[in-house]
Order: sequence, then C-alpha cells, then structure tokens
Amino acid sequence: MSLRSWFEWVNEFPSSVAIRESIYGYPYLLTFHAVSMALFAGLIVMMDLRLLGIAYRRTALSQVQKQLFPWQMFTMGLASVSGFVLLYGQPTRYYGKVFFWLKMALMVAAGVNALVFHLTTYRTVAAWDSSQRVPLGARLAGALSLVLWAGVVVFGRITAYNWMTFE
Amino acid sequence: MLLPFFQWLESLRFGVAVDESGYFVAAVNVAHLLSLTVFLGAVLMVDLRLLGRGIREQPLAQVALDAQPWLIGGFLAMLATGLLQLLATPMKAYYSDQFWLKMYLVLFALAFTLTVRRKVTQADETRLGPVWGKVVGLISIAVWVMIAVQGRLIGMLQ
Repeated sequence: MSLRSWFEWVNEFPSSVAIRESIYGYPYLLTFHAVSMALFAGLIVMMDLRLLGIAYRRTALSQVQKQLFPWQMFTMGLASVSGFVLLYGQPTRYYGKVFFWLKMALMVAAGVNALVFHLTTYRTVAAWDSSQRVPLGARLAGALSLVLWAGVVVFGRITAYNWMTFE
Repeated sequence: MLLPFFQWLESLRFGVAVDESGYFVAAVNVAHLLSLTVFLGAVLMVDLRLLGRGIREQPLAQVALDAQPWLIGGFLAMLATGLLQLLATPMKAYYSDQFWLKMYLVLFALAFTLTVRRKVTQADETRLGPVWGKVVGLISIAVWVMIAVQGRLIGMLQ
C-alpha cells in the first residue's frame, strides 16, 4: 500500500469523518495545538538561549536542561496528541500540503540534532557546566535547534493556509 | 464607542495597499507567533519557578531578572506585529468577540505582571509564604494561555 492510500483509508473512518464534520472541532483543536506548541517551543527557545550562552548563564547548563526537560516533554505531548487528532480528522487534506511535509521533515531534523548533541558534546558537560564559555558543539546545537524549531512553528502556521498544495 | 476609530483605521486602507496577495498578513501572523513563543518561554521560566519547579537552584529574583529581557523583547515584538495586524484588518478585529476579550485580558495581564507578579518575584523568598508564589504563577500562566487561545480564535471564529 502506498502512503497516499493509507491516508485515503483513514480518511474514510467514521471517527475521522466525525472530527472533520464537527463545526467547532477544527478551530478548537487547532487552537489547542497552536498554544501547546507555542508553550513547548518557548521552553525549547529558553534552553537554546542557555546553550548559546546568552541567557541564564548563572545557572549550570545541566540544571536548566534537567529541570526544563519534563515540561518540554509534557507540552510536546499535548502538541503531539492534538496534532495527531488534527491529522486523523483530515488526512487527505494534509497529505497534499507541501508545508505539512516540510514541517514533518524539520521535526525529524530537530530530533536528530538533540540526539546527536546528547550523545556527543553533552557527555562532557561536567567539565564546562558552569563555565561562561560554552563549547562550540553546544552553541552549534543550540543555534540549529533554534532555527529548526522556528521552522516547525512557521511551517505549522502556514499549513493552515491553502498555498502550495498538490493533488 | 470605538467604532469611528476602527472605521478611520479601515479608511486608511493600509491592508489593501500592502496586501493584495494576503502574504503580508500571513507574514505578520507568523512573526507575531514567533514573538509569542519567546515571550511565553520567558513567562514560563519565572512562573514554573514561582510554582516551585523549573530552575530551583537560583533565587526567584535572579530567574526573573534573567528572563526579563526576553519577556520585554517578546512583548514589544508582539505589540508591534499585533498593531500591524490591526492596521491591516481593523474591521475584522472590531467585529470579533475574541479580539475584545483578548484585549481586556491583555490589560489585566499587563497590570497583574507589572504590579503583583513583579512584587512577588522581587520579594524575599523566605518571607514569602509557600502559597502566594503558587497562586501568582498559576494566574499568570492561565491568563497568558487564555490570551493566546483568544488570539488564535480571532482568525477562525466569526
């Protein structure tokens, strides 16, 4: 089965049709998704600013990381669940949107960036945790994360418009 | 009461002048949203700390001081992009219940942040009871989230 036929298959589920046809379903779901995404992205930005060494410099990087992480995961959970329901309600609409696929690709890239950082530069965090000089690897990871998540927010927002769609 | 003012904004035809394609309003929307993420991040850093979470190693007043430039910068960016949006589509705002509710909430949130929340974040934590910080943090999060919710709904509910 091709990817498209999976989307078309789900599109016919009665529960998918019900979400699609409810009058207030879409505006409220989309609002929940956008606001939880903004909260999540805000916490990511604060972490990235610490990685770049331009904010919260008095606090050890590992502390900022450890204590923001559960809230980042919580808000990401809210955004993911609502995002999944939005997709479930209109699979064939989103399938045809260039911005939607770009957003998905950027999210994967942001995840890979975070993983690579944790498996490489972050292993030596004890050596530079409280230092004013953040190593290049960490600054790079912070800058990349900032750009990639900003891209996710931008493409997510313009997915709501009907530009750049295909059949 | 404010109808003539909004009609005057409309008569400037700023939106039509710059935005036949609709791209301008979209770009302003995106910029407003990006500013919001920075602002909400800074709000959460302090509000989580008020709730006894977040970066607990640092004194409350220190966290508030570190977050302040991003709080103010994020707010000013939202104000600028929000005003542009209002100039581009004044009548849409005027006839939107969500717009007016959002404006009242913003006024309340600003007053609250500049008085009560400011006072509490600068207070000596040992003398601040365990409850007040939590109440202030919860009110702050709740009001800014409601503002974001109304803001998104302006575009969808007519």
